[in-house]
Amino acid sequence: MNHTKQNFWTKYVFATDHKVIGKQYIITGLIMALVGGYLSYVFRMQLAYPGQSIPLYGDMGPQQYNAFITLHGMIMFFWFAMPILLAGFGNLFIPLMIGTDDMAFPTVNMISFWIFFVSTIVLMVSFFLPGGAAAGGWTMYPPLSITAHQPTFWGSFFTGQTFLLLAVALEFVSMLMGGINFLTTTINKRAPGMTAFRLPIYVWFANLAGIIFMFSVGPLIAGAFMMLLDINMGTGFYDPYRGGDPILFQHLFWFFGHPEVYVLLLPSLGVTAEIISTFSRKPIFAYKTIIYMALIASVLSVIVWAHHQFISGIDPRMATFFSVGTILISIPFAAIILSYLATLWGGSIRLKMPMIWTIAGIGSFLIGGLTGLFLGSDTFDIYAHDTYFVIAHFHYVLIPVVIFGTFAAIYYWYPKYFGRMLNEKIGKIHFWLTFLSFHAFAFPLFFSGLQGEHRRIADYSSFDSLMTLPIQHIRIISTIATIILISSQLLLIINVFWSYRKGKVAGRNPWEANTLEWQTDSPPQHGNFEVYPEVYRGAYEYSLPDRTEDFYPQNEK
Amino acid sequence: MKIFPDNISTYGQEIDDLFYLILIFVSIAFLISIIALLIPLFRKREKAAYFTGDKWVHLKWVALPLTLLAISDFIILAKEHGTWARIEEQIPQADVHIGIIGRQWNWVFVYPGQDNELNTSDDIVVDEQNSELHVPVNKNIVIDIRAKDVLHTVTIPVLRFKQMAIPGRTIMKWFQATKPGKYEIQCSEICGLLHSRMRNFLAVEDENDYKKFLSELYQQNKQLENSLVSSK
Ligand code: HEM
Ligand SMILES: [Cu+2]
Ligand SMILES: [Cu+2]
Repeated sequence: MNHTKQNFWTKYVFATDHKVIGKQYIITGLIMALVGGYLSYVFRMQLAYPGQSIPLYGDMGPQQYNAFITLHGMIMFFWFAMPILLAGFGNLFIPLMIGTDDMAFPTVNMISFWIFFVSTIVLMVSFFLPGGAAAGGWTMYPPLSITAHQPTFWGSFFTGQTFLLLAVALEFVSMLMGGINFLTTTINKRAPGMTAFRLPIYVWFANLAGIIFMFSVGPLIAGAFMMLLDINMGTGFYDPYRGGDPILFQHLFWFFGHPEVYVLLLPSLGVTAEIISTFSRKPIFAYKTIIYMALIASVLSVIVWAHHQFISGIDPRMATFFSVGTILISIPFAAIILSYLATLWGGSIRLKMPMIWTIAGIGSFLIGGLTGLFLGSDTFDIYAHDTYFVIAHFHYVLIPVVIFGTFAAIYYWYPKYFGRMLNEKIGKIHFWLTFLSFHAFAFPLFFSGLQGEHRRIADYSSFDSLMTLPIQHIRIISTIATIILISSQLLLIINVFWSYRKGKVAGRNPWEANTLEWQTDSPPQHGNFEVYPEVYRGAYEYSLPDRTEDFYPQNEK
Repeated sequence: MKIFPDNISTYGQEIDDLFYLILIFVSIAFLISIIALLIPLFRKREKAAYFTGDKWVHLKWVALPLTLLAISDFIILAKEHGTWARIEEQIPQADVHIGIIGRQWNWVFVYPGQDNELNTSDDIVVDEQNSELHVPVNKNIVIDIRAKDVLHTVTIPVLRFKQMAIPGRTIMKWFQATKPGKYEIQCSEICGLLHSRMRNFLAVEDENDYKKFLSELYQQNKQLENSLVSSK
């Protein structure tokens, strides 16, 4: 391999090396997670102690409240989860896992990151615009999202909503370019012998997620473009008094928005597969079935979008179709989870940090997945829609998937990319604080939701029925838990920096894993492998009966 | 602590029952999965068993629970569908026909005038902050739901009632309340600055009180009209 000399700029800033780009995505994503987390701290404080001045923020009014929940939702999805689970991990793992030197288009890869970075800046600027940040909810339903901001100067362009739409558009361009890069790389650059059914599940799932994203994002981009025109040119796509229809946007939004959850779910389930197999020392159970089930789930995921609209004026007979589709998605996902459980069964379990996060992730995700059955039923959704039952449900999906999945991956692959192990003691404390405070934050919200507490309310004092004691206590418990949840992340930051200097030196394959990324130096040099690997077997050949070693790297003869 | 607020509608109990039915299924599924997840962690093994699950005999461990899940799915769907049809599709003959209009930030109520028919010239519109919607008990109340400016959602938890109000559309819904009293009407769709304050009441009254309320309303309306005419 011939690699040209690098200076500081080409090595760390405008890098084309997929490993550096992956780290850039992850660091940006983690910083944005802190922003999103800070917003949730502020609005949770407002919920628990309405009208009082909030430490580290100040006084909060309803306008800021609406803006903060809007930006919290947006940031967590598009500037934290997607860049880390898909773009970040995809960049770090795919080329190494398939045994090649880089992405198919390294320069495009670099440009993708910088477009993403610009989108972050545009988003942050939107907080400081004259009209304030967008405040119509992360779902941006018109007409509110169009009329919420009265133009202040230079027309209506410099408004939070316009900037939010621009930021989302840039982010999507970046993710689209990234997804195409992943697919091209996986199809064309695999090491000899790396057949489709020898690929690690992460590679499968990240590509599948990329495909779902590409398939579903088009309608939303069209919908957002019409919204831009409505705001800035005074067109009436969503205005019924000019022949438009606000429901149109909802369909375009959820045609994207529902599959989007699977775009996050799949990479995280991919990480889970790698870790669970390695730390049970067992082949992943029913590898092919898992992949077929994920394909079925992906197809189903794009035809159930209107279950978000059971109470928003769709034809009530159509609701039945969407309800049946939604409830049936439980089957392929249950199959995947069951395969993971069967992988654990009879394993020789090594309870290291990555495995602990993964187990906790699966266990917590079960609650999120199963409570989806309540909401998938159109009839019960009449009651539960837009209550805190929904908030509890989707945080039980997203936090195990996005946060636990990310942490599992960080603990598992840190040694590969930094050459040292993360400290397990700090790790355990970090884990228990995060795990317990997450449940203390989210579980009580099921109850306040069932009591009729509706979401997106800055101050409940107008509603006597929602000011009773158990509900008030739930608000305070949930807020205290949020504070613990957020502040314990300091331990992860400490661990990452401390271990970088003082951690145990990792070596090539500290976890005795099979996949190709473990068969090169830690950290891998520019170009990844000294000798390009050839692949002889599947990714999960652990504990073969006739071998003395319980692992069998994919490239070992 | 109760799970749900009191139910005062004829169909609310069916929604609550559906919740408990699903709760039973998911609790069983959760318990079995959590046990299957935790047992391997407490069993120390030197060497892991080797099975790939590619053989059909192995797959029965996945196929069996999946079949059970599929059966529960269909039981849920069968049970819920009748309720959905009754609430959302089969709107009964109206005893009282009223209108609810969402606007930033109040619920506006429309009563039929003396002709007892909505959408005629003698309709009476009440647009007062935090006002009450009066309905008679044990009657089929049919509602036309509309919105003036942005989306709003009519939510009445005690009735298990919820419907988005959409500018440009009129959506017909119904309920029958079984217990007199005063209950909250919420807006559960984010609708701008004072969304949190958008709260009105539902006053369920027996027949006589309701009649009395109506005649007072007509009278006030008359006076209002007269004063408008005389000031011209
Ligand atoms: C620190 C952890 C988190 C806390 C304490 C938290 C808290 C909350 C709360 C209380 C709400 C409801 C606000 C309201 O409706 O008034 C909310 C909304 C939301 N959260 Fe989170 N959240 C956290 C993490 C996440 C993550 C990881 C994601 C996604 C990856 C996420 C996505 C959302 C979304 C999409 C909404 C809806 C926003 C809207 O209503 O427009 N949250 N969060
Ligand atoms: Cu409203
Ligand atoms: Cu509202």
